[in-house]
Formats: sequence, C-alpha cells, structure tokens
Amino acid sequence: MAAIAPIAVSVRMYNVGFGDCFLLTFKYAQGARHMLVDFGSTAPPRYASKKTDYMERVAQDIKKVCAGKLDVLVATHRHRDHISGFGTDVPTGKIIADLKPDHVVQPWTEDPRARANSQEMTGQFLGALEDMQEVAAAIKQFATDESLAGKQTRDQLQFIGDGNMGSPSAFKNLREMGQRSKAHYVSAGMELSILPGVKCTVLGPPTLRQSETVRKQRVRDPANFGQFRSFWASQSLAMRQSLPRAQRAPRTALPPNVRWFVNQSRQIRAGQLLGLVKDLDTVISNTSVILLLEVGKRKILLPGDAQVGSWSYALSQPEWRRLLADVDLYKVGHHGSLNATPKPLWALFKNKGGPSTKNRLETLCSTRAGKYGSVASGTEVPRRVLVQELERDSRFTSSEGSRATFCNEVTFEC
Amino acid sequence: MAYHPTRKLTILALDPSVRTDGRILRTQIEVPNEVLEAGPRGYRVSIVDYDSSTDSFRAAKRTFQHARDAYRSPRDPFEKSSDAALLASPDFHAFMTYGIVMKTLARFEHALGRRLSWSFGSHQIQVAPRAFADANAFYSDTAQGLLFGYFPSNDGKRTLYTCLSHEIVAHETTHALLDGLRERYTDPSSPQQSGFHEGFADMVALLSVFSAASIVAKVVDLGVPRAEGEFIKRAAVSVQALKESGLFGLAQEMGAELAGVHGHALRRSVALPPGENYLRSGEWDEPHACGEVLVAAVLNAYLAIWVERLKAIGDASRLDRNRAAQEGAELADHLLSACVRAIDYCPPTDIEFGDFASALLTVDSELNPADTKYGLRQHLLESFRGYGIHPTSRGKPGRQAGSWDPPPPGATFVYDRTHFENMKSDPDELFRFLWENKEHFKLHNDAHTRVLSVRPCIRVGRDGFMLRETVAEYHQTLKLDARELSQLRIRKPQGMPADMEVTLYGGNTVIFDEYGHVKYNIGKSIMDTARQSERLAYLWSHGGIGPGAGKDRAFARLHVRRNMDWYRS
Repeated sequence: MAAIAPIAVSVRMYNVGFGDCFLLTFKYAQGARHMLVDFGSTAPPRYASKKTDYMERVAQDIKKVCAGKLDVLVATHRHRDHISGFGTDVPTGKIIADLKPDHVVQPWTEDPRARANSQEMTGQFLGALEDMQEVAAAIKQFATDESLAGKQTRDQLQFIGDGNMGSPSAFKNLREMGQRSKAHYVSAGMELSILPGVKCTVLGPPTLRQSETVRKQRVRDPANFGQFRSFWASQSLAMRQSLPRAQRAPRTALPPNVRWFVNQSRQIRAGQLLGLVKDLDTVISNTSVILLLEVGKRKILLPGDAQVGSWSYALSQPEWRRLLADVDLYKVGHHGSLNATPKPLWALFKNKGGPSTKNRLETLCSTRAGKYGSVASGTEVPRRVLVQELERDSRFTSSEGSRATFCNEVTFEC
Repeated sequence: MAYHPTRKLTILALDPSVRTDGRILRTQIEVPNEVLEAGPRGYRVSIVDYDSSTDSFRAAKRTFQHARDAYRSPRDPFEKSSDAALLASPDFHAFMTYGIVMKTLARFEHALGRRLSWSFGSHQIQVAPRAFADANAFYSDTAQGLLFGYFPSNDGKRTLYTCLSHEIVAHETTHALLDGLRERYTDPSSPQQSGFHEGFADMVALLSVFSAASIVAKVVDLGVPRAEGEFIKRAAVSVQALKESGLFGLAQEMGAELAGVHGHALRRSVALPPGENYLRSGEWDEPHACGEVLVAAVLNAYLAIWVERLKAIGDASRLDRNRAAQEGAELADHLLSACVRAIDYCPPTDIEFGDFASALLTVDSELNPADTKYGLRQHLLESFRGYGIHPTSRGKPGRQAGSWDPPPPGATFVYDRTHFENMKSDPDELFRFLWENKEHFKLHNDAHTRVLSVRPCIRVGRDGFMLRETVAEYHQTLKLDARELSQLRIRKPQGMPADMEVTLYGGNTVIFDEYGHVKYNIGKSIMDTARQSERLAYLWSHGGIGPGAGKDRAFARLHVRRNMDWYRS
C-alpha cells in the first residue's frame, strides 16, 4: 500500500503524578493507530492523592481511546515511574497486555540476548544494571532507619530508591508482549518501520561503543569497564552483607564522647547513599529510548529520561542536529530535570519563541513537584529555571500546571 | 621519672596484599609516646570504631599501656602477633590507623618546626577505621574526621579494610593536614586546585613509604627476577626498572582490589610519560587525573636522582641492597620535608602547580643553598618542565631559577606603626600592618579581608643555617552580581544570568624574615582579571557555581566518582 500517511496526530499526556504515560494517536483516512509510550508512576497526582486507583482509570481510558488495540508499545527504560503500570502485580498490567500491541519497543539494554555473554562489555554493563537495582532496593530499606539522617534526606533515599528498584513482573510482561508480537530492542541509529507513513528514528540510547566515541574523560585503564562492573557488584554485596541488622543499640549505649561523631557519620552515610542512588538513577535514565517521529511535516521528540550523558552522542551527529532543529513537540525529558534538557539540545530548537511565534514549539512535561531532589541543592524536579524557559519560549503544558487535568492533549494536522 | 618521647608500633608496611616469603610485609614505626585512653584516644587523634552501615559501635577495652607505669615506653603490642591475628584484630585496625595518622602529623610538624592545627578548630581529629561498607575513604571537615571504609573482595570471601593500607591512611591524613595549613584550597577554583589536594596527598603518602629504608629494601626489586640476599642486580636500578619494580608496580600486581580505592593506585602516575600538554588539554581536569601530572613530575625527579646516587655504589653487576635502600629512603625523606615546607611558600588561594613549583624551589634554595648532594632543584626544574608545569616565578638573575622574587627594591613598607613581636602571633596586629600597606599588598577596598593565620617558625637547614621566619596568610572575598563583573574587567561567562551572585577570592602569603621585614609576598590578587575570568568560565561550564556547588568539601563524592566515569552525565 503506497503513500498511506497520517492526516493528523494527537498526543495525550496522562496525569500519572510522578511518572510518564503518553498515548499517541495517528489518524489515517482509513482509521487510527495508537502508540503508548511508558506507563508508570511512583507518586500519585495531586488530584488523586487519596485515591489508589488512578492508574487503573488511566489504563481504562487508554483502552477506550485505542478501542482495545495498541499498535505500538514503547517502554523507554526500566525505571518504575515509566513501567510500573505494566506490572502484573497490579491490575493495569493485564489491561495493557490485552491490548495486544503489534510492536514492543525497548532499549537494547533489555534484550535478553545481550545478556548471554557475561564477559562481554555489554553483558557486564547489564550485570551492573542489575546490581544497581539491588543497591537501590537496599537503600530504600536502609532509609527507613530514622536515626540515619533528617527526614528530607530519608524521603529522597526512599523515593529514588523505590524508583530504581527492579519491577520483575513488568519486565516479564513487557518481554512476553514482545514475544507474542514483534520485539524491537533499539539503539541509536536504528530506523523503525512500525507505523505507515511515520518515519521513526532512534536517537538513543547509544551502544557502549557509540558512547565511547564521545567520551570526554580519557580512559587510562583498559580494564576500566571491569572496574565499573566490580564497583557495582561490590556495592551490592556490601549492602547485602551489612543490611541484616539486628537491634540497634540505644543512644545511651554510646559513650558521650563519640555521640557527636557518630551522628556526623550517620549523616555522611546518608549523603553517600544519596550520591550512590542518584548516580545509578542517572545511569539507568541514560538507557532511555529516544525517538524522533516524523509525521508528514511534523516532528515529535520523545526522549524518555535521557540525560546529558546519553544525549551527547546524538548531539554529536550533524545529521541529527539538523533533524532536531524543527521539532514541533518536545516531551520534556525526565520530568523537567535540568540535565535531561541539555542546553545544546534546547539551543537547536528553532520553533522557540513567544506566543506569537509561528508553529510555536509545544512542550509537554509530566511531573510532580516536591518529590525528587531539592531546591537547595539545585536538583529539584521540575527545575525552576528550566520551567521558566519552557514557559517563555514554548507552549508549555505541565501535568501540574494551571491546565492540569486527568489528561492533556495536543493535536497536529499533518 | 624518665619520659619516653616515642613508642614503637608494628604496622603493615603497605597493605595486606604485599607479602614476602608468604608473610605480610610489616614495619615498625615510631610515633610520639603519650598516655592513651582506650580507643586509642590521644591528644591529637581519637579513634572511634563506629560503623554507620551496620550502625554499630565497638568500645575498645585495652589501652596497651605499660602495665604498671604509664610513663614507661610501652611494649609494641602487635610485634609478635601472627598475620591472621593482626588482620582479625579490631585493636590492630585501630592502632595501625592511629599510628599512621600520628606519624604523618609528626612528620609535618618535624618539617615545619611547629605544631599544626586541624582546620576545624578542634585539637583532636576523629578517625573511624571501619566507617562504612564501601570501597572508599575520605577526610570530612564537617565531621572533623577521617573515615575509612571496608568492602568485600571480588570473590566475596574476604573483607578488605582501607584502614590497613598505609598509603590510603597517609593520603587521607594529608588531606586533613593540608586543609589545616591552607583552608581555602577546598574552594571551587581551577581544576589544578582540586588536583593539587589529590596530588599532594599522593606525594606525601608515597614519599612516606619510600622514606622507610626497611620497606624500600624489601620491595625495591620485588616483582622483577630476584637477586637473592644482600645484593640487588645493577640492572634492577635503572629509572625504567624501578618504575616497573615492586615500589611502583605493587598496586597492579598484587593489590588489584584495593587499587580501585582512591589513594592507593596512583603509583602508576610515575609511568605517565613526560608531555607538555596534559594540563592544557582539558582531558586532565578531573582532580585525580590532574593530580597525577604533579605526582609524575615529582616522582620522576626522585627516581632520576636516586639512580644517579646509586651509580656511585656497588660494582658493575650488583649493589648492596641495604645501602641502595638507604639512599632511596634518605632522598625520599629530604624531598618529603621540602614538599611539606613548600606549603608555607604557597599562595593561600587558587593554587596552581606552577605556584607549588616556585614554592618548592624557593624553600629548598633557602634551606640548602648549595644543593651539591642531590642536585634536587635542577632535576625538579627539568622534570616539572617535562610535564608542562612552569614555575609561576622565573626567578631574578642571580637567584634560583623558578623561585619567588623578594619584593621590588622600591617597595617601602610602613613598619613603624606596628610591633613585630606582636605580629608574630596576633592576627589583629598583622592586619593593621596589611592595612597600613594596602597598596603593596594590592588589597581590594571593597572586599572582605581576613588574616587566616600567623605562624612563627624556626627551621634548621641541612647545611646548618638557622631560619627564623613568620608566615602569615590573608584572604579576600568579594561577592558580586554577575552584571558587575564587567566593571572590574572580568568576563561574565556566556549564559550566566546577570543577577547570579559570584564570589571572587584573592589573598597572599607573606613571609617575614627574622628582622620582621617582608621577605616574600606571594599571592593571587583578587584583581587579577585574567585569572578571575578563566576561573569563572571554568566553574560555570562545569556546574561549579550555583545551588549545590557552594563550598561543598566533597572529597567523599570525588573519590567515588572515579569508579562512575562511564555512561553517565
């Protein structure tokens, strides 16, 4: 069938609190096709903060909009705020599986075949990812100890730890959906033929070799990668060995002369763990699939949570830089964190500008403030300075903003 | 009653992985003797055996003092223990850590001829030898302490303690001592400033180990085909052979697991081939990498001199092992003293390697004008140049090349409004002197000025000269909005918001001679527009300005990041 092309495309951003869930509907003369990008949440939206079934409502709405059939499902990366809804330990996993997507797109890091050779760099990297998730789970558990640090730090440890824990049932569900249809484990540079008349370029995640080509830090040690692997293995092992903690000694059991230092040590430990969990959070974010969809004359950029480290590869490709210049819709990366919208990327978009700008850039940000990071450390999500820029130079829609509802929708004629 | 000034303490010479004849290589160190509380807790160092990963505290029971009389020199408690007993004994972990911290402190005090203070105002530093389950160790000024982690070996069967590595403990102690001497070196500045903290700590750690002849003798040819017994092969004492020997090659050969921990592995710096562009390339901005360049320059000079000294002993095929080791150890000791003393001659803020080079050359020429034995300064100059480190001062004709210049002859300081006797110890009196001589010291009128320290010191040079000097540091801080920078001819980094607050630093080290006259005025003017522009540009492009960047003495993060340098932002 020649020259079948969408005549319009709409992007629905569901308000899932801290998480991502986007449903893209491509309207053809012959009917509509649907692409779901991510479905996860680690903190409820404000409108549903008392209700626990908000994810089910979203799943039912997806089912209704796509009339029981998904064409494409994209799980950008394995963070729980992007895939928790696919878990079969919650009711929504089955609802989505029943929509029988024809194509399931995941990053190359999820490819079961990539794990085969654990000695290869790739296998080692994937092993490290698993260790990271164990570390995250341990940190979440560790952070329940009230003497560890102040509440703010403990909340951060628990929240980020929780977001990075493994979701075995979601992994399994995604893998099986892929097996029943067509699974795509993608890396930068691939082109996907998944929807007629839609050019779908994968800008990320880079493979390890690709990311090596843009590294700034010199590698002195060829065994560097083994070090990366053993670092996380050792972290994971150390956590497991030290965790099973019997009863804590009461404060008065400590001699008075060490109490101040013990208290300092606990805070340092909390700080170390926070650093560790944020580091692994970044590594996992950087495994995000970055998709650039070209629908007629419209361009939609869906970067998941990809951060500077991953973007630096895509941005080093002159051809892609040209492609990115006239993006019409940008899904704001990583719920509005600063590192996920690198300045060099933002600088490429030429449809930026005030309200009177022709073809003004649309930006969609799915987020929930007050959950991730802190203003004091300049790590708050969404980042204030970024939001200001998005509001000024684009038509900015936030799942938390004044137009916050159950779902926001943007439609383009193609 | 006779008081014994020192006591002997057995420690591991390097770390548990370094063995000869199947036994862990040990050494006996001498540390100041004192009446210790259980811990041990002494007058400068307090060991706290608290583990934050398991939230457990171990109260030490034994003090290991002389049984009847605390004033007698105590017996070395671990001299006769087996290897297994040492590794398993929490008391040994505590005492080895205590011993190296005390020894390093004593070494600095010996070189400087005065007591050293910690930067945090307390007399005692807290040291946790088993602080947490992590392959990491660091100095924390907020916790007023040193924290040493432990971690499982790769096979998960053993536990490795960073406190049992001589070099790691010496390295972290040096961070604390350097912070006590130059508290502003942890401010956000150029990559070389943070690189200096790392490189200096490495140099001190390595030279401390090398200055023990007994260790050098054991490992000088370890790992190369052995010449057994009292002699080592002539072939094993070339610069190249020594680089590959046990002295430098240990980390890779044997301590592979500890090698991942910072403070241990940088012996390989010595293998860095000379090159002029490291520091300019931008690829060496990471603090440890940057520090390695400095370490490489100093260690290569050390090796060159040592090998030259060894030409004079032995015959064509072999030389006496102990004699060779003695030469190496003496030289290491000499160089270590010079490096520590050089800190007094370094500017108080925004240090770069060229400043250290000038300081080192100055201090050595003051103390050891002839330099006939080692030719140390010539070797240092050549080696520094080889690594692209150019002394900040060229050195006036007739003076040591690369050394600091005295104030220009026309500089007439006003002395008659202050009393030098008071200036030797009173920061307020010293400040008056600065204030009266604002122009000479290039004080910026709007900046906040503070005298950081005034330190009298007496030193004996190896040629018998007595040096009585007073070392004072002052520091200036100027907080401005970015929009005001252009008025000072400082470039605002591209993209920096006009209302962002930036902080500029400046300050000098002033050395007074024994008559109370300004002998050197070494510094970084706050008005150095080129330096300030460059510093701001670097910090802005590396996220070093703004919330979360501040004065975060993030040695902890720094050390972990080394392992993280992959596939991340």
